[in-house]
Amino acid sequence: MDLEGNRALLAAALARIPAGDRAALQTVYRLTSAKLFGVVLRILDERSEAEDVLQDVYLTVWRKAAGFDAARASPMTWLIAIARNRAIDRLRATRVSRHVAPIETVVDLADDGPAADSALENAQQNARLHECLGGLAGHEHQALRAAFFDGNTYDELAQRMNVPLGTMKSWIRRAMIKLKACLDQ
Amino acid sequence: MSDAQDHTRIPDDELLAAEYALGVLDNAERSTAAARIVREPTFSALVAAWEQRLTPWAGALEEVAAPPHLWTDVAAALPAPTPRHPGLWWDLAFWRGLTLVSGVVAAACLAALLYVGVPKPPPPLIASVDGGGHHHFIVTVDPQHGTIAVLPASFAPVQGKVPELWLIPPGGKPHSLGLLQVSHTVTLALPPNLVADAIPKAVVAVSLEPPGGSPTGQPTGPVIATGELTTL
Repeated sequence: MDLEGNRALLAAALARIPAGDRAALQTVYRLTSAKLFGVVLRILDERSEAEDVLQDVYLTVWRKAAGFDAARASPMTWLIAIARNRAIDRLRATRVSRHVAPIETVVDLADDGPAADSALENAQQNARLHECLGGLAGHEHQALRAAFFDGNTYDELAQRMNVPLGTMKSWIRRAMIKLKACLDQ
Repeated sequence: MSDAQDHTRIPDDELLAAEYALGVLDNAERSTAAARIVREPTFSALVAAWEQRLTPWAGALEEVAAPPHLWTDVAAALPAPTPRHPGLWWDLAFWRGLTLVSGVVAAACLAALLYVGVPKPPPPLIASVDGGGHHHFIVTVDPQHGTIAVLPASFAPVQGKVPELWLIPPGGKPHSLGLLQVSHTVTLALPPNLVADAIPKAVVAVSLEPPGGSPTGQPTGPVIATGELTTL
């Protein structure tokens, strides 16, 4: 898919939603539902719950589209953030994560690198994030990764990586500080 | 959320925003942060910036086709096309969304929930009246009963001054609605001649006035917070 064209199409569709244009929401749905379902399903790891949350995500998009500012955020980033937040909200409200398997700490974690088929249209931004993630210590990268993809809490991460809670908080926070410094350069 | 660790290179709010965006907070911490996103534009911007930083990572995730019935479910759950007749669903979904947000907005919810089920009531209005720093009020207008409730979400009292509430209709002059309390919600009756002015886009403002209120009928002290009314 033409990624720049996709971005423009999405931004234009989002802009039509506040006027009550259902076809515009359907366009957004067609372009993004597979990606957002992937995001939600990864966090919730339960299909019917993920479907329920995905429905909620698009209803949220319907209500909040007026707040989307194409000049400040990429449409896909905005949508994925809504999907992740909804999925994590559901997870926190209902149960502990299903992602509880121990994580073996490694010294160096090979990053999968930017996804070639990424629906995220800003390839440069994507490459930069992976470059910065690559600069983290192995255990920091692993902890961030489990938090981001599995939706784990600090507590769950500490258990999965078998370290005290304080240590885990320290790892994550230090990693975030490094990440910000690297990305904002 | 602050440990004894040295995180001095990054402020607490910035860290909290990062933690929210990453998703590591537990349920209670997350709800508190979500409430702050709603009422604090500065904090909300920090969270948005972190979402911008982290979200490209999700590009690595596999796409998974959603089942065909899902769009049908979404479409069926959308409010009826005529915006002036919001269906019951619209209200329910709205409130379901808001239950994620605690505290301040819950108060507004309660006020407006009174309307659910009443046929075609005048819509309740809400304004986040924000002056930055320690001046922030949540205002809800109940046009049906002609009342306006003001919750001081954050307010640092100023010695010898009282906060006064003003309603400024689009293109009009400020009308005093009364004095506010520093510590708790105040519900004021809207003067009957001002009910028609409490409409979307009307501005609600808070100024600091001498004890007893403005002697002139117009704001005399500094305006410390303003916000626009919007429909819920």
